[in-house]
Amino acid sequence: MAKKEKIQYPNPRFFRCKDEIDWKAQAENLKEVGGIFWDMLKETDWKKFREDRINDAKDDARRVKEEFNDFMALDKAGKVDRIVNGEKSLGRLYRKGAMATVRREWRGIKDTAYDFYEWTRMWGMLLMTFSKDLFPALNNLFWYRWMVSYFCCHSFMDKNTMGMRGSNLRMSHLLIYDIFRYVAENLVLNAKADKKNGNSGALNQITVLFDEMTMGQIMAGFPDLYGFPHQLLAMFLVSELDQLTCVPYIDAVESFGLPSDTCPVPSSECGALVLDALPHMGQCFLSSSMPCDGSTMASSYYGRRFPDTPVFHLCFPVRYLDEETVQMGADDIKACIKFIEDITGSKWNWDAYFTQIKRFNQETDYELQKWEVNKSAYPQLLGPCYELFRKWNYEMDGGADPRVLKTAEKVNKILMKAYENKEEAWPGKMKYRAIVWSCPAHYYANFSNWLANCWGVNVLVEMESLNFTKHLETEDKEEALRDLARLYERMVMRRHTNGGYQNVVDELWRQCEDWNAPMVIMYQNVACKNMATVQGILDDQGRQRGYDLIWVEHDLMDPRTVSRRTMRDKVSEYMRTVKKAEPVDPSLVEFEDEVCM
Amino acid sequence: MKDLKHLIYFESLLENADNELVKQAQADGQLALGYTCYHVPEALLNVGNCFSVRLRAPNTGSIDIATYYMSNYTCEYARALVERGIEGGYQFLDAMIGVDACSMMNRAMEHFDILKVNDKPNFFVTHCDIPYKITDYTLDSYVKQMRLRVLDRLTETFGVDTSDAAIREAVKVHNEVCSIISEMGEMRKADNPVITGYEFHVINLVSYTCPKKLILPYLRETLEELKKRKPDKVSPYRARVAIVGSEIDDPNLTKLIEGCGALVVSDRFCFGSTPGREVIELKDDEDALRQICLHVMEHSECARYIADEKVLQRRETSDRLAKEFKAEGIIYEQMKYCDYWGFERALVSHIMHDEYGWPVLSIDRLYNNGNSGQLRTRVQAFVESLEIKRIHKEEGK
Repeated sequence: MAKKEKIQYPNPRFFRCKDEIDWKAQAENLKEVGGIFWDMLKETDWKKFREDRINDAKDDARRVKEEFNDFMALDKAGKVDRIVNGEKSLGRLYRKGAMATVRREWRGIKDTAYDFYEWTRMWGMLLMTFSKDLFPALNNLFWYRWMVSYFCCHSFMDKNTMGMRGSNLRMSHLLIYDIFRYVAENLVLNAKADKKNGNSGALNQITVLFDEMTMGQIMAGFPDLYGFPHQLLAMFLVSELDQLTCVPYIDAVESFGLPSDTCPVPSSECGALVLDALPHMGQCFLSSSMPCDGSTMASSYYGRRFPDTPVFHLCFPVRYLDEETVQMGADDIKACIKFIEDITGSKWNWDAYFTQIKRFNQETDYELQKWEVNKSAYPQLLGPCYELFRKWNYEMDGGADPRVLKTAEKVNKILMKAYENKEEAWPGKMKYRAIVWSCPAHYYANFSNWLANCWGVNVLVEMESLNFTKHLETEDKEEALRDLARLYERMVMRRHTNGGYQNVVDELWRQCEDWNAPMVIMYQNVACKNMATVQGILDDQGRQRGYDLIWVEHDLMDPRTVSRRTMRDKVSEYMRTVKKAEPVDPSLVEFEDEVCM
Repeated sequence: MKDLKHLIYFESLLENADNELVKQAQADGQLALGYTCYHVPEALLNVGNCFSVRLRAPNTGSIDIATYYMSNYTCEYARALVERGIEGGYQFLDAMIGVDACSMMNRAMEHFDILKVNDKPNFFVTHCDIPYKITDYTLDSYVKQMRLRVLDRLTETFGVDTSDAAIREAVKVHNEVCSIISEMGEMRKADNPVITGYEFHVINLVSYTCPKKLILPYLRETLEELKKRKPDKVSPYRARVAIVGSEIDDPNLTKLIEGCGALVVSDRFCFGSTPGREVIELKDDEDALRQICLHVMEHSECARYIADEKVLQRRETSDRLAKEFKAEGIIYEQMKYCDYWGFERALVSHIMHDEYGWPVLSIDRLYNNGNSGQLRTRVQAFVESLEIKRIHKEEGK
């Protein structure tokens, strides 16, 4: 039997590329950053700072006393339940004016132990990954303010798993770990390649950048090249971790003259380009016309900031259901492959492509299995970690990392066992089956978590997860390109918001039926024109069909327009007035998290 | 200057989408095909017994119902069309040729379908996919879309002759309109032109909204009249400006700008003459449809085209037009909520100033702007700044 080739991902050669740090530039930058810190220190009201810390300490003492009294007031069975199954009032984890929760959640002995294990595992992975090239990775902090937000990744993990127990908690941890590993590895590589920082010429020689939401699968045929989503880590993903990250970039581009009604995704990216807050790296850039009009336009801002970087504009047909348009998409992919070959000197490798796509197809099968379980009366994998994983896996990983396939196998084993045992994904909180439609708020990535914990509304699936599930061709080369075009045309968001209203209106009713979900959390990104232009139709038809449509406005990456609290209020109002419901956890109805990451 | 003989008539034609000439053509058995975007080649909608009507919603008042359907932060032009459609204002159309070029316009066309704004039995709305860049394969796709989604639909539904010969015949008429409008447009290059920006805007708009064959006699006569027209001894305008940007189908905006003392000498916007009024040169030995599609792609100045060469083309065209028409400044305008032009205007208004050296006024505006005091103030300030620049230049500062 032939020995199975071990694939190392990411290619270790990428990490081995030699840095060529300009130390003088680093010293100058440090001096500048030091000056900023010094100014901040000088301007800090230390008296107020001291008072705040004293108040925090008092508040902690009050809280501990309150929690102790609460516990002591329980009867014996209640005490046992609290110890074994964990706490119930999650609202007390938040404190007004605090950037993080006051402490970690008590999930019961077993789950807290597991949670702590995952916490340490995550730390271990982060330390190991960053130690692959520590200096540039940490030096990123002194170049980009968004990098600071990554330091709250553990808190992000906690928020996303809040209230979870048992199998759902385990699966969520496994899934989010893979995303963090991807982020950590790419942060290190981006710092190495960044000409302002690690300045690795060798890595830059083999680096291909791609646009915001351009899917990563095209790099499958170039295993010797490093494909890096240029704005993903700096804008898109980090805004899920920290609600305030993108604010300075949005302000910058609006001061520059961009109207404030545009989507905050391209706005933030353009703002980052205006402020020079994206890494200078790569041989070329693959821009794209996706997913919407605003994103299409952001590429001209890239061209303005990096005029010397060759750009290929991937332009897929909008009316993607029209099979007559598919060939244009396939031809564009061909042209893009040639562009990459010409720029980098690398050659497209069909074997590598098919190998990765086979993995991606397997991952799609696992995904469909999850859907089948969640469609049943006993949904098992719910919550933000899964939602994020699906998007990331579909959009960015796309079968590239073999470790992700192993995770998928592991998760589905747990999933099936939990399903057989008829476990409750949110113990005691399985009251309403819901679907999330339209794009969710980045600054409130764990909104579905709150929905379940506060009101027992279980989000079975998000619109953004329901993408292309057809197996991609892995033998016929021409058809493989056409399939790749079909996949790209159905990228996250675009699959529904483009190509005709049927894809977002009729599709919703079909999915509601399929998932047996009579409730729809109807996100309304106030700047998303593709969705805004069907709101009346959705409202009309939803009403006719008797669905509960809970409209929740948000501004995607700008929490100042619609705060998290306002988003929650919309749901609470509906639940109280229309559904006449009582909250599952009253402590979560009213709490303040305006500055909480 | 002496008033143009047909100006009031032209203005009256712009009062309604189904104006006198549209009604006349339909009474003669012709088919009215609505469209909104330059990406639908106008000449193709004038094949056989069809004529094109570029849709406007003149005298738009409340757009509350359309706002319910499409929210209040979407393109007002798109919403005005939906509102007018719901009111029954487009009942006269025989078909609506939509393009999926910008999401809001596409949704507007979809609402024509969903809300059934037209109850003619054979009425249809078609949606075409439009490429974002010019390559052989995108041209192939564009041609295919026009053939399948437009021409074949016309043949299947109404039995329209869409042969190569019919297309060439339509182009011939189209070209005559374009030649006349272009000749009138060229007159704006004069130091003291015989045509104002407002007059040109009105004349150009009727050429988009009326059946070509019926408007042509009036255009021919107006051209002759202009050739003989004597300008005022001293131009009443204090500055010359070029307009660049998104859709303007309201000539009152041009009137407002000219009322502030700025003669509009160039109109590089959707519904303007650039692009739209360039003569289509057809070769005999090539497929006419393909040549027309290529012509549209090459001449399009839509911000939607993101390939580098088109991005540069847009800047160069603005610069060239402003120079050729002796403009002293450029007004970059954008229909509020238009994503394409929102991004384009913000960036390029800086570039035109910093790299091309043009004084630029950057504005976003509503669909109907003829009476905007705020806009008037901004244009007045811009005119004053242009005057000051001129004085400084004359003084050698």
